[in-house]
Amino acid sequence: MTTTTLYLERTSALHRLNPVTKLVALLSIILAVFAVPHWWIPLGIVGVVIVPAAVLGRVGGRLLRLFLILLLPLLVVLFIIQGLFYPDGSTVLWEWGLAQLTTEGLLFALTIGSRLTALVLGSLVFVLTTDPARLMSALTQVGMSPKIAYVISASLQIIPAFQARAQSILLAQQARGLAIVGSPLKRARALLPLLGPLILGMITDVDERSTAMEARAFGATPKPTSLIVVPDPVGERVARWLMFLSAIAVVVLVVVGVIA
Amino acid sequence: MTARDSETGRDRETERDRETERDREAERESTKEATVTDANAPMIELTGVGFAYEDAERFTLANLDLRIDAGTVSGIVGASGAGKTTLAKTIAGFIPLNEGGTYRGTASVAGRVLAEGTLSEAAAAVGLVTQNPFNQISGARFTVREELAFGLENRSVPREEMERRVDEVAARLRLEPLLDRSPYALSGGQMQLVAIASMVIMQPPVLVMDEPTSQLDPAGTRLVYDVLSTLSDGGTTVVIIEHKTELLHEHCDSIAVLAGGLIVRQGPPGAVLADDRLTSWGVGETRVTTAARLARERGLLPVERALPIGVDDAVDAFSTTERAAS
Repeated sequence: MTTTTLYLERTSALHRLNPVTKLVALLSIILAVFAVPHWWIPLGIVGVVIVPAAVLGRVGGRLLRLFLILLLPLLVVLFIIQGLFYPDGSTVLWEWGLAQLTTEGLLFALTIGSRLTALVLGSLVFVLTTDPARLMSALTQVGMSPKIAYVISASLQIIPAFQARAQSILLAQQARGLAIVGSPLKRARALLPLLGPLILGMITDVDERSTAMEARAFGATPKPTSLIVVPDPVGERVARWLMFLSAIAVVVLVVVGVIA
Repeated sequence: MTARDSETGRDRETERDRETERDREAERESTKEATVTDANAPMIELTGVGFAYEDAERFTLANLDLRIDAGTVSGIVGASGAGKTTLAKTIAGFIPLNEGGTYRGTASVAGRVLAEGTLSEAAAAVGLVTQNPFNQISGARFTVREELAFGLENRSVPREEMERRVDEVAARLRLEPLLDRSPYALSGGQMQLVAIASMVIMQPPVLVMDEPTSQLDPAGTRLVYDVLSTLSDGGTTVVIIEHKTELLHEHCDSIAVLAGGLIVRQGPPGAVLADDRLTSWGVGETRVTTAARLARERGLLPVERALPIGVDDAVDAFSTTERAAS
């Protein structure tokens, strides 16, 4: 399937879950880890919930690879900047010129880093195990406007659409002598003539696309049916409410000072 | 061809045109009283239709008349820029409902003037397959299967019915191997088949197709025309804008020639495609006709004999001439 999503087709309990349940779980986790001011809570959620979920969904290997490529460099930079240059740090552990490694800086980096890790890994597990078509159908089933669902789906598909068009324009221009050789800068400069026809073409296509959408009855009824019907058992609906209420409870406990 | 032959041909054409005009006049008179329930009323009727795009210097369609009967397959031919796409959009109601410009005249489908209704109503009455399959697909569905069902979802068709129709149209157009692929991972020809299938699946009473086989190989083209013939047998009125005159001759009940914003000729494929003025209207005659014309110039075919259009006609014409000569 050519889309911009990272979805991996597997057979697992996590894949079978209603995408809305996974989405609510993800949002609840994000709400909780950003509300609680302790670095070990997000890390605990990563260890107890997110990583086991990835293993259960048989996407652990891909998650690890994405962690190493996407997140690890960010965390290293975060720890270097916040650990060495934290402005309010007073407990100095090591210093070299202007750089001071402080306990406060490390704790701050740990808090931000652990939240970021929970947010990114949680989102990745969601994306890796959720078929975008099922997600759109499930969201429409729970009441999301079909027009909003269309916009989201079309956004997910816009990159392959751009790629396909850019490829045909590139071929046409190469056939007329455009040479893409030399240094990366030269190659990038050679690609500039692509932009005009690519963007203008997409804009002029809007008219014909809108005609085609009208011809295919888009928006003809406020309640369209769906080819994909995603099961939504009572247990999952109850679980969604429990997760949502638990996340709200955590926020309330933090606000009233019970969790400090 | 001698000057006398040419003159004789022109006289014959003039007489034929007069006859056609008389026929059309008689038909116009007879349909003045046509109502929605009149079985003889045409499925598509355009009367005095003119359209000029916004800021355009001239009318793309100028006072155009066109009648197409229910359950027939009709071809529309014309030079590039003759206004074929504009005519397709007019038949489908997108002009004037969705296009700015100056519009005049009346276009009706099944007795209903589309311009007096909504675009949604027009889309339900006439299915339009646009020229570029890339723009026909929704861009919001992740597999061909979902893409085919998109229009049915918008019409609130129950899921079981959708599944049945998806399987049926996929089998008809041999799309089964593509059903689980992304629409963007298809070749131009495959995408065109999906675009056609996405409209055929909606089962509109009228299907207008703007160059539906431009990206298809001969097998795909034949497949599409076979499907269209089957649809027509089932009562669907099919209008095809196409440059491949051989195919139109083989599959259409009538052909209309669009030139200068007018329908300059409409009639059975054999008569229209044998018209000596065809190339002057920017329409290519069939290769068989070209060969027969050359044969006639060399005295291998009698001048009085109508030029053959298809291979079968040619075999018949040459066999008859051969027998007469011997």
